[in-house]
Amino acid sequence: MIYFDSAATTFQKPPAVVAAMQNALMTMSSPGRGGYPPAMRAADTAFACRNELAELYHLENPENVVFTSSATHGLNIAIKSLVPPGGRVVVSGYEHNAVTRPLVALGAKVQTAAGPLFQSEAVTAAFDKLVVPGTSAVVCNHVSNVFGFIQPVEQIAAVCRSRNVPLIVDASQSAGILPLDMTALGAAFIAMPGHKGLYGPQGTGVLLCGKGVTPRTLLEGGTGSLSSQQEMPDFLPDRLEAGTHNMPGIAGLLAGVRFVRRRGEHSICDRERRLALLTAEGLRAIPGVRVYAMPGLRNQAGVLSFTAEGRDVEDIGSALAERGIAVRTGIHCAPLAHRTAGTLESGTVRVSFSDFNRPDEVHRFLTALEDCLH
Amino acid sequence: MEHYLILARSITFAQRMQSALDRAGIRCQIFRAPRDLTDLGCAYAVQIAVPDLTPALLALRRASLDPVQIFLYQRGLYQEVGT
Repeated sequence: MIYFDSAATTFQKPPAVVAAMQNALMTMSSPGRGGYPPAMRAADTAFACRNELAELYHLENPENVVFTSSATHGLNIAIKSLVPPGGRVVVSGYEHNAVTRPLVALGAKVQTAAGPLFQSEAVTAAFDKLVVPGTSAVVCNHVSNVFGFIQPVEQIAAVCRSRNVPLIVDASQSAGILPLDMTALGAAFIAMPGHKGLYGPQGTGVLLCGKGVTPRTLLEGGTGSLSSQQEMPDFLPDRLEAGTHNMPGIAGLLAGVRFVRRRGEHSICDRERRLALLTAEGLRAIPGVRVYAMPGLRNQAGVLSFTAEGRDVEDIGSALAERGIAVRTGIHCAPLAHRTAGTLESGTVRVSFSDFNRPDEVHRFLTALEDCLH
Repeated sequence: MEHYLILARSITFAQRMQSALDRAGIRCQIFRAPRDLTDLGCAYAVQIAVPDLTPALLALRRASLDPVQIFLYQRGLYQEVGT
């Protein structure tokens, strides 16, 4: 199978990830629940993972690295910590339902800082216009999950800092691919999945918490600390990690993060962008196909959307699946992004890459697509 | 054997203390804190040798890591010696 759906989940994992998970199942129990060897091995693994992530994202304190079950879980904590019911929030025009649905559930007054696809300056200008002192929070993804648009988070963070407005970054598509500096951004939270560009298993995620932020708990329960007290601890990570840790997941995530750091985010991004560029050029040569990309893939990561005139995107996805090619079709849980780009009615076919894809797979995909369309 | 126990608020905090002490060349080990020493229940502690207390506290202060409590273990008993 040719797997081009890494924006959903990276399917091919480094062998070290699988080995680490198996080792965790065989040798580890729960961190913070005992002083015996399996508990301490689990604690050492969790701490090593926090440290690797703190170094990767420039956090001084590994206690501010919180394990979650997904980016969605982390975004819910972040949003519900900062946005009161009915609060005013500014989001980009490319947000996922993981952001917009919690905001709707809170009854937040949401304003969209929309800019055309791949136009960073326009996006920054839109945030500059809408973010004012008193805004409860700004939420912005680093990379659009539909179009791969790299949003100008550094500039948006500067706007937030200048108005003392907390920023939440959704790094779902950029984690493991593009660098982010939590300290330099001054973000209140950065949420990310473990199972995409960090090559960990499904069911893992990370929430990076900024200095001086006391997050609201979504879950309350045992933490292995202050057990006689009935309120949740006020310190991280315990405050946000009630219940037994997903140790096989955390061990796999640690192996994935180490893989990314060894390979280098820049090398991985470069490989994915070269594949995306090759794909975009091939798609443009097929009559009736519209590709959502700028020349040279300006401001774009290794995620690419296209449509084909007169063809339902779901039919294209099914035809490709029959030929052994996995892509994502539809609106990708991001109706806001499609509305902004003008593709809400049709949806798109999305191809997205990982460090395990090769150029020959792109050529086979293009041949298969031409076969499907004609 | 006499030793000091430096109480931490959580396992992760104890691990941060251990990292800071390792960097300062001070040998230590993480243990579950004895029940009698933790009013609020379930805590971890870092055990260090008696002569290492002063350099250990300096290293922890440099790393902005404040112990919850410090106990001296002597003749089978723990005695609080500071916070």
